[in-house]
Amino acid sequence: MFSITISQKNIMRWQRFTGKLTTEKFVVFLAAVLAAAATFYSLRHGYITAYGDAESHLNIAKRVIDSLTPGFAQLGGIWLPLPHLLLMPFVYVDFLWRTGLAGSIISGAAFVVSAIFLFKLTLLITKNRAAAFFASLVFTINPNILYMQTTPMTELTLIVFFILSSYYFIVFLQDDKNILPLVLSAAFGFCAALSRYDGWFLVLAEAGILSLLYLPWQSIPKSVTEIKNKFNKERWAKLEGRVIMFSTLAMFGIFIWLAWGMLILGDPLYFTHSQFSAKSQQHSWLIRGELPGYKNFWLSFVYYFVTSMSNVGVIVFALAIAGAIYLLFNKQGRHRYFVLLVLLVPFIFNVLTLYVGQSVIFIPHITPITFEWRLFNARYGIMMVPFAAVAAAYLFYKTRIAGKILISGLLVAQVCTYLVGYSPVITLEDGRVGLSSATAKIPDAQYWIDKNYDGGLVLVDDYARTMSIIRTHIPMKRIIYVGNKPYWDDSLKEPEKYATWIIMQKNDDVWNNIYENPEVQGRLFKYFQKVYTSPDVLIFKRIIN
Amino acid sequence: MKDKLAVIFLIFIGILFYSLTIKGVLGNPRPEDFKNKLDQKSQALELSPERGRFANTLALAEFHTYDLGQVLADAVYPDVGVYNGKFFSFFAPGVSYLALPFYLLGRKFNMSLTGAFSLVPLLAIFNMLLIFFISRKIFKLPSWAAAFASLVFGFGSTAWSYAITLYQHQFTVFFMLSSFLAAYQYKNSGRSGFLWGLWVFLAYGLAITVDYPNAVLLLPVVVYFLAVSVRFVKDKLDLKILIRPAMFISVISLFAVGAWNAYHNQVNFGSWKKLSGELVDYSTIKELDLAGRPDSNAALTQLSEQKGLQSFFREVNVPFSFYTLTVSPDRGLFVFAPIFLLALFGIRRGKSYGLEQGILLSLAAVNLFLYSSWGDPWGGWAYGPRYLIPSMAVLSIFVAVFASQNSKVWRKVIVFALVAYSSLIAVIGALTTNAIPPKIEAVSLPDKRYNFLFNWALVKKGESSSLLYNTYFKYHLSLMEYMLVIYGALVLIMVVILFLMPRLEKK
Repeated sequence: MFSITISQKNIMRWQRFTGKLTTEKFVVFLAAVLAAAATFYSLRHGYITAYGDAESHLNIAKRVIDSLTPGFAQLGGIWLPLPHLLLMPFVYVDFLWRTGLAGSIISGAAFVVSAIFLFKLTLLITKNRAAAFFASLVFTINPNILYMQTTPMTELTLIVFFILSSYYFIVFLQDDKNILPLVLSAAFGFCAALSRYDGWFLVLAEAGILSLLYLPWQSIPKSVTEIKNKFNKERWAKLEGRVIMFSTLAMFGIFIWLAWGMLILGDPLYFTHSQFSAKSQQHSWLIRGELPGYKNFWLSFVYYFVTSMSNVGVIVFALAIAGAIYLLFNKQGRHRYFVLLVLLVPFIFNVLTLYVGQSVIFIPHITPITFEWRLFNARYGIMMVPFAAVAAAYLFYKTRIAGKILISGLLVAQVCTYLVGYSPVITLEDGRVGLSSATAKIPDAQYWIDKNYDGGLVLVDDYARTMSIIRTHIPMKRIIYVGNKPYWDDSLKEPEKYATWIIMQKNDDVWNNIYENPEVQGRLFKYFQKVYTSPDVLIFKRIIN
Repeated sequence: MKDKLAVIFLIFIGILFYSLTIKGVLGNPRPEDFKNKLDQKSQALELSPERGRFANTLALAEFHTYDLGQVLADAVYPDVGVYNGKFFSFFAPGVSYLALPFYLLGRKFNMSLTGAFSLVPLLAIFNMLLIFFISRKIFKLPSWAAAFASLVFGFGSTAWSYAITLYQHQFTVFFMLSSFLAAYQYKNSGRSGFLWGLWVFLAYGLAITVDYPNAVLLLPVVVYFLAVSVRFVKDKLDLKILIRPAMFISVISLFAVGAWNAYHNQVNFGSWKKLSGELVDYSTIKELDLAGRPDSNAALTQLSEQKGLQSFFREVNVPFSFYTLTVSPDRGLFVFAPIFLLALFGIRRGKSYGLEQGILLSLAAVNLFLYSSWGDPWGGWAYGPRYLIPSMAVLSIFVAVFASQNSKVWRKVIVFALVAYSSLIAVIGALTTNAIPPKIEAVSLPDKRYNFLFNWALVKKGESSSLLYNTYFKYHLSLMEYMLVIYGALVLIMVVILFLMPRLEKK
C-alpha cells in the first residue's frame, strides 16, 4: 500500500479554502469573471446582437431618449417595458448602443444577482453551503445562460426577477409570520410582470399558492355541511389579507400594462392581437401547418421538455429530474410541493402558450425535417435553468461523499459535452443560424447604405428588419419608422416630404404603400432616384433640385 | 453444490439452444460466395455487420492481410472505407481477430464460417455464467433467481439473435461483466489482487478493440476499480490516503492492448490514432467518382478530416433515439422484451446493494445515454434494440431481484407471463432473420412490417437461418413445429425455475 498522509493542519486549510468558495462573495466573483469573459468573447465574435430581437430591444430603448420623436410612447405596446427602461441610460452612449454592450451590462448584472440568489435559495432549502454553491455553479457555467447574459435579450432580466420573487416567496413560505419577504416577493413579481409575459403567470401562480396555503379548510370537505362546519375564519382572514396584499403589488404591473395599451394604443389587449403580436406571427405558421404544439398537449409538453433539456444540458437535466423526484418524495421537506411548483412555473407557462398557439418553438431534436425552419425560439428553455440548478443541487445535497463526487464529475462531463461539440449551445446556434438570427440574413443593401449614406432622413420599415440600424453609421435621429408620427404616415403618402433616403424590402410596409401604390409610386420616381437594386431590397435617394 | 449444478445446467441449456439456432453454412466460403448467396435474407451473412467482420477474418486467414480486396469490399459494401487504395471494413478489428482461431479450427472440419461464428455463443454462455455469479456473489440471490437472471438475458431477450452470429455485442457484454466481476474480486482480495486488476484493464482495452464506443461504455467499471483502489483512513487527527500499488501495475495490460491497436492503425490506416470508422466511405468515392482520378488524393484527405468521432454522437439525436431504443414499435426494448419492465421495480427494491448496484446501473445508464445520442438507434436493419444488449445483461439481474423479493404467486405469474412473451419474440427472431428494416424504411417497402411480425411470417413460411434446422431438421419438422419445440422447452424450464426451484431450494 502506498500511503499519503494529510496532516490536520492541511485539512483545516482545505476546509478554510472550501469555506471561502462557498460564500456569496466568491459566487459574485466567479459570476462576474465568467460574465465578463463571455461578454468579451461575444463581442469579439459579433454575437451580442446576433438575434434580430436583440437589436430591436436596443432600438426601442434608444428611441425613447434619442430619436426623431423621442418619448415614452416609443416603448410601444408589444414587448413589456422594464427591460427597455433599464437599457435607457446605457443606450444613450452610441458605442454601447451599436455594439449591444448596453444590453450586456443589464443582462450581466442580472446574471450575477441571479447567481447569488440561486445560492441563497438553495441554501434556504438545503441549509447546506456546498449544495448552494453547486446550484450557483450549475447556473453560472451553463453556456446558454452565459451567452444570453451577453445579449440585450430580455431572458436574463426575467430570470433575475423570477429568482428574486421566488426566493422571497419561499422565505415567506418557511416563516409566514414575517410579512416583509412577501412584500419583496410581490415587488420583484411586479418587475417580472413588466419584463416578460412569463412574469404574469409567475405572480398568478404565487397568488394561487398563497390561496392554497391558507385554504380555510384543514382537510378537503366531503359534504356541504362540512364546508360550513370546517370553515376556519382565522385562516380565511389570513388568506384574504395576504393574497390581496400580494396581488395588489405584484399584479399592479399587469394593470399598468393594460392601462398603457388602453391609453396609448386604444386597446388594453393590443399586445395579444395586434398585427405585431406573437399570436399574429404564429398564425402564419398555423396556416402552413407548422405549429406543432397548437391544441396538442402532448407535443407542447414534448417540445418544451426537449427545449429545456437542450438549454440545461442533457446530463444536468437528468440530475435535476432525479433531484426533483427526490425532493417531491422527501416527507421532511417543508412546503416541497409549493417550492417545486414555483420553480416549475416557466415550464407550465411555456407548455400552455405552445398549446394555445401564443408561441412557437422549433428545435432540431424533434422538429420534422420537412419544416422550413428547424431552429427558432430555442432560448425559451433557458427559463428552466434555475429549476435545474436547485433540483440538481438538492440531489447533490442528499447524496453521500461518493455521490457528491459522482455528481460533480457529471457536471464536469456536462461541460465537456459542449467542449467536444456533442451538445450545441442552442441559444447561440439560434442567434447564429436559426430563424431568430439577424446575422444570418444581413442583406448586401445594408453594407451599401453604410458605405454611401451621407446624411438626411431615412425612411425604413424597421419592423420588417429590412436592415440593421446599429450596423450602419446612420444616427437613430435620422430614421423614420412606424413609431415616428406624423413623419411615418406623411411619408407613406408624400415620400419626398421628409426623407432623403428610402429603403424598402419586398412586401414590407414601405414597399406596399409606396412602390406598389401607383399614385405614390409616381411621386417616388419623380423625387427619388433608384441608387441600389437587389432582388429583395431597393434603395432610393432624393434627387437634389 | 447447488451452484455447481446450476452452472452445469446453464452450460447445457446454453449449448443446446444456441446450437439449435446458430446461423451458418457447411463448407468453407470463398469471397465469391458472399454476393447473392450468403448475403441474402435468412442467410448466414445477411447483414453487413457480420459480413464485414467475417470478411476481415477470412482475409486474415486466407490472404494474411487486413485489407479486404476488391471482391470482399464489394461484398461488404456499404460499410467499407478506403485508405491508400485499400479497402477496410468500418468495424473495429477486435472481433475479426478474436474469431480467427475459431475460423481456422472450423476450416479443418470444412466449417470455417460456423467455426468463426461459434465463438459468439461460447461468449454468450460465459455471459450467462457471469450474470449468475454476479447475482449470487454480489446480490446474494438464491440459485434459482440467479439462474433465472441468466436465462432472461440468454433466451428471454433479443440478445439471443446476436449470440448466434458474428456481432460485437456479446463480446462487449463479456468484457463488461467480467471486468466488473474482476474489479469486485480485486476489491475483496489481498496481494494477488493485481491479477484481477490486470484483467480489468485488459478487458477494457479489448472491449475498445471490438467496438470503439466501449471506451465510454465501460468507464463506470474503471471508475469502480479506481475507487476501490483508494481508501481514506483517519489516523488520530490526520487523514491517511491508502493507495493499492496494483492500481498502477494493472494499467500495463491496457497499454499493451492500446499499443497493439495503435500499431494496427498505423500499419493499415497510416496513423496510430486513426480509427477504421474515420476512413472515407467507399460509397462516397463511388458517388463522387473519385476512384482513379489524379486529383482524388486531396479530396479524400478532406473527406477523411470531416469524419471525426464526435460527429457520430450528438445531443440532437437524444429524444428520437431514446424513444426508438425504449418504446418504439420497431426497436423498443420494452416492446421486444417487456420482461425488463420488471427490472425497474427490482432496482427500487435492490437499494441495499450499495456501490456495486450503482456501478451496474451506471453501465446501463451510460449504454442508454450513449446510444440515445447515436444517429442510427435502429442499428441499421436489426432485430430489437441491439445496442442495448449490455443493458439487457444488467437489467436481467434486477428482473431476478424483483422475482425473488417474495414468494407471492401473483408476482411469479406476472414474471412468467412477461418472460414467456419475451422468449417467444426472442426465439422467432433467433430462428429467422435480423434483417428487419426500421419503420421509416419499411413503409416504402413492399412488405411493410418492421418488427417481430415480419419474423412471425417467416416462421409460418418456413424460412429459417438456423444451420441445424436447414441441414437436418427441415426434413422432419416444419419451422413452426421446430420453433414450438424449442419454445415449449424454454417455457417448461422457466416454469420449473420460477415455481418449483424456490420450493426445492427452501427444503
